[in-house]
Amino acid sequence: MKILCLVKLVPDVDQLRYDREKNILVRDHAQLMLNPDDATAVATALGFKKEHPDTSIEVVSMAPSGAIPHLEDLVRRGIDIATLISDPSYAGSDTWVTSTILARFLKGRAFDCVFCGTQTLDGGTGQVPAQLAEALSISHMAGIGGLVGLSKEEGAIVDVEGETALSRYSVPLPAVLGFYYSPKRKLPYIRYEDLNRDVSGQISVLGNGELGFDSSEVGLTGSLTQVRRLETDALEAKDPLILNADEQGISFVYAILKQKGFLRT
Amino acid sequence: MKSVLVYIDEDALAYSVDLLEIARLMYGKRAFKAYALSAAGEHAEIQSLFDYVCIPRKESLANFEAARIAHCIELLHREYSFDAILIPATHCGRMIAPRAAMRLRAGLVADVTAVGTDGDEVLMVRPAFSGRMLATVGCREGGPVMMSVRPRAFSYQERTLKAGTLLEFNAPSLNGPGIRLIERRGKAESHDIRESEVLISGGDGAIRDFPQMERLAQLLHGRVAASRKAVDKGTAPRSIQVGQSGKIVSPRLYIALGISGSAQHVAGIRNAEYVISVNTDRHAPICSMSDIIVEATSGSFLNGLLQKIEGSNQEHPGG
Repeated sequence: MKILCLVKLVPDVDQLRYDREKNILVRDHAQLMLNPDDATAVATALGFKKEHPDTSIEVVSMAPSGAIPHLEDLVRRGIDIATLISDPSYAGSDTWVTSTILARFLKGRAFDCVFCGTQTLDGGTGQVPAQLAEALSISHMAGIGGLVGLSKEEGAIVDVEGETALSRYSVPLPAVLGFYYSPKRKLPYIRYEDLNRDVSGQISVLGNGELGFDSSEVGLTGSLTQVRRLETDALEAKDPLILNADEQGISFVYAILKQKGFLRT
Repeated sequence: MKSVLVYIDEDALAYSVDLLEIARLMYGKRAFKAYALSAAGEHAEIQSLFDYVCIPRKESLANFEAARIAHCIELLHREYSFDAILIPATHCGRMIAPRAAMRLRAGLVADVTAVGTDGDEVLMVRPAFSGRMLATVGCREGGPVMMSVRPRAFSYQERTLKAGTLLEFNAPSLNGPGIRLIERRGKAESHDIRESEVLISGGDGAIRDFPQMERLAQLLHGRVAASRKAVDKGTAPRSIQVGQSGKIVSPRLYIALGISGSAQHVAGIRNAEYVISVNTDRHAPICSMSDIIVEATSGSFLNGLLQKIEGSNQEHPGG
């Protein structure tokens, strides 16, 4: 079984701070991290490889070259090879262009299954996996909470939490499987002897020289959607009343709940 | 006359119908023909709200058959040349919309929460960076305006009765096997936190207090909700997660226990009417959007309030 894991590096949104005076989002201190949903996808693939040692895992990311240390890290955790798709002309690509680039790369690759996250912390559109599946004319399932089975013969059996129900699906391979972050499936630790292992031979970088897009097809110019404005979503600051959980504070909260009709006594 | 296609997700009929409000905002009340695509074939409940209801001939497509439904959308567009295609951002809608956009080579904007126009151009607003930024997005001319829309972001109130003419079409089939549903189980909790007027929500600082939160929720006729951290720790199920990465809620009362208020959480409760936050740190981000801050541990607050309410109920039995 050959599993391709698509990963994205995103700014750690919990480190984003809002500057109320300047009305801007402060991103300077936010470090890049592996998107949580994608980390679960890689961890799931590694878990599967542990049980089925004939599995090979390739991680693919489209990002600037700053992503290389993160890919090296994943190789040290047990994936076989990593490919970085990186070209200055790809900067600013929307989901349509990104999926088109990834699809061209994947068409030249042998694989049984693509693992990825359901959505990312930064853009959060969740569109690339579905668009990629469409471009490759294969199945796609998002929102996967658990991988029940995976084989070339039976396809993938997955558990998905939808709006109103928990469903188990059988997805024929090849397929794009989008996982949700799960705290239960963590990436394995890097073993001590692997901390400084030279993994450069397992990482390759690919640019537009190999993929051959016209410059009008990629980046901002190739994109079908254009971000016109990016504004901070200013919240109206309230002027809160500060209480303690002593008798006075509790009585006040109790009175408010009654006054507003939440307690009907 | 403009024409608009709305995809009807059989698991989210009301949210799907609400998308007509976007058509009204973009084109005005009488200036568009409303088409519905009901891939499941159901049409009784929605028929009177649309000019046309498109259903597959002699079969019913399940909402998870995203590849086939995307193909249906393409075929219908080739026939009726829609100006806009609107899809609810439900679990299945989010799998269908990108595939349809890819087939139509149309720009797609995900999770739209507001729309506007600039001359003839439609501009869509969506949250980005976990709700901290709002991006205004336009699409390149040529294709239909396509968007997936956040459930509850729009509400269709001015319902006009329409003819609801049925249009049958031949649904394309897949080249090869498709996705199969093996088993479907309803969720344990029967109610959606988005429908609740009162939410008692717990975070990192309230991991051990969920049983008491449940008691308080019962007394206040509300539901228990949770922050991403509580869900990530496995304390609460994902279905009750509030925030940009969970559900956007708009209760009349939101009690936040041990929730510091990350950007993405605050984005999920911006429309909450009255917010009480219980936190040991009065400078936690959530406090700036609270009406009352109780500077305490969630346990001591819950104990105190439960005693007060239950004690007073005993004094006035039957109240």
